[in-house]
Amino acid sequence: MKAQNKQTGFLGEKFSEEYLLSKNYKLITKNFSTKFGEIDLIFKDGETTVFVEVKTKKSLDWGTPEEMFTRGKYQRVKNMSVIFLKGRDVPCRIDMVAILLNPDDSLLSLKHYENMGLNMV
Amino acid sequence: MLVKIKSVANIGLETLPIEVEVDVASQGFPGFNIVGLASKAVEEARERVKTAIVNSGLDFPGKKITVNLAPADIPKDGAAYDLPIAIGILAASEQIPFMTMNDNRMTMNAIYYGELSLDGSLRATKGVLLVGIFAQKEHVSQIYVPIESANEASVIEDIQVFPVRNLKELVDHLHQIESITPIKHLEVSELVEEVEFETDIFEVAGQELAKRALTIAAAGGHNLLMWGPPGTGKTMLAKTMPSILPPLSPAEALEVTRIYSVAGLLSTGQSLIRRRPYRNPHHGVSPAGIIGGGSNPTPGEVSLAHLGVLFLDEMPEFPRSVLESLRQPMEDGEVSIVRASAHVSYPASFTLLAAVNPCPCGYLGHPRKECKCTDKQIRKYRSRISGPILDRIDLHVHVPVIEVEKLSTQHVSTSPTSKEIRSQVIAARKIQIDRFAETHLPAGRQVYTNSQMGNKLVKKYCQLSPETEGLLRLAIEKFDLSARAYFRLIKISRTIADLASEINILPSHMAEAIQYRQVS
Repeated sequence: MKAQNKQTGFLGEKFSEEYLLSKNYKLITKNFSTKFGEIDLIFKDGETTVFVEVKTKKSLDWGTPEEMFTRGKYQRVKNMSVIFLKGRDVPCRIDMVAILLNPDDSLLSLKHYENMGLNMV
Repeated sequence: MLVKIKSVANIGLETLPIEVEVDVASQGFPGFNIVGLASKAVEEARERVKTAIVNSGLDFPGKKITVNLAPADIPKDGAAYDLPIAIGILAASEQIPFMTMNDNRMTMNAIYYGELSLDGSLRATKGVLLVGIFAQKEHVSQIYVPIESANEASVIEDIQVFPVRNLKELVDHLHQIESITPIKHLEVSELVEEVEFETDIFEVAGQELAKRALTIAAAGGHNLLMWGPPGTGKTMLAKTMPSILPPLSPAEALEVTRIYSVAGLLSTGQSLIRRRPYRNPHHGVSPAGIIGGGSNPTPGEVSLAHLGVLFLDEMPEFPRSVLESLRQPMEDGEVSIVRASAHVSYPASFTLLAAVNPCPCGYLGHPRKECKCTDKQIRKYRSRISGPILDRIDLHVHVPVIEVEKLSTQHVSTSPTSKEIRSQVIAARKIQIDRFAETHLPAGRQVYTNSQMGNKLVKKYCQLSPETEGLLRLAIEKFDLSARAYFRLIKISRTIADLASEINILPSHMAEAIQYRQVS
């Protein structure tokens, strides 16, 4: 079961990466992780560093992927990004990609939410 | 970029300048924070401002936005900061011609004040009159306020009042695409006009003495207590009071409107309170309701009745705490309300009109009906109104049972109409206004009526002849009246003399004044 969830998450990250690259974002790194947590994807959108959290779901039985991105999760990504930036003050933001997969692991829907910070305060 | 926008905070009737500092930083994580001792309503401005900007077709910057309401130690409440915050954000993100600290444009010297709706339109906001008065005092030439409340400020001279319908319109105005026309300035005197009254005093049968007492009360702003059995017309007489009161003078109208503006009791589009207030709270009222209260204190009934009438029907039914709380405002003409967050003074110079029954059943002293109350019941009933309160009521008048013959139509037609009495009252008030034209109370308040005179003024304007003085002394000794009653009797006799257009107070005037002092 756990392995399956990991597989779902991996697929989601793959789909998001493809999508954001298609939007002319430049990939900086994937799965940046320390003992405090992990950032799924880090891009550059022009001058702005974009930290992306991907949430992938196979069924809506336990809620939508959007619901999985809570204030606590936002805070964790924010803390992680400070570690990544080593405290430098640069233009940056946190995005979220919500993905739904079909039972056969093909993409059902992908939604990109820019600048989650404005909804999280 | 950092932008500073002017706004104000209304604390009671005091208006303080507030600077809304908005910083939109390109560095750091996007967010929207408001600091500066903001209450919940101000905190929630975040959601309103954000949505209103987006729904006005403008761009809400996805950057780190910090709003500071300075000075930071004054508590800010209410939604009136929505507009300055929104304008600040739009200016800081360069969506409207910017006004930096060094750039002293016209838009800089303006006050923004108003609550935003989610669709970007402005909602009626209370206290706009005070904003106008403040702007005039501080030489701020323009104020931008919600269109629905803008009329309140139309009576203020020397400032331009811009009625703002919605955010988009204001942005176009600041871009000079399409200008908002400032509202037309109105003279207060143009607005003070005659109003029709529902009840006329001549509809009340008989009760000549009570009508005379009402006339004196209206002419000099003296407190009046009417007592008598049920159904004799006490309440009806009180209801006719507004019809014999003089119209508000322009200065008075402004004073009253200020209070109503703070209380948010002006109806949409109304610019001025035109008739003298007449408040008749039910006896279930709480002390905070009558005096004013709340954590950010709002005016109570005594202040809403400022320069008008506060009518307490069935006075003994009011809780003791409520009646006793009237003592200070009745003496000083203002109330000070102290709460943890604020200390506020509201003017409360009102004429108290009270109606009481002689006993719980109401028929004590009735010519035909028997009173069923025991002595103890009567004593208990009377003790509900304390001595200090009664001492502050100058006119006591008995409203007796009316004889059947007097109810006939012939009698009704001979009694004076409200209009006639009113012209007498207006004449007497005119004398008083001329008398006190040069006199000011501390804190800039104005004396309008004889009842507002302090002891110093009584000595100055109410010289008594030895004969009159002798009569007064006799009454004081005979009825054991207090020092306060001494001065109050002089004030009443002054009003009676004014009603008779006499320069000096004659013994007959004093005798009439003493007649109303008898406490039964």
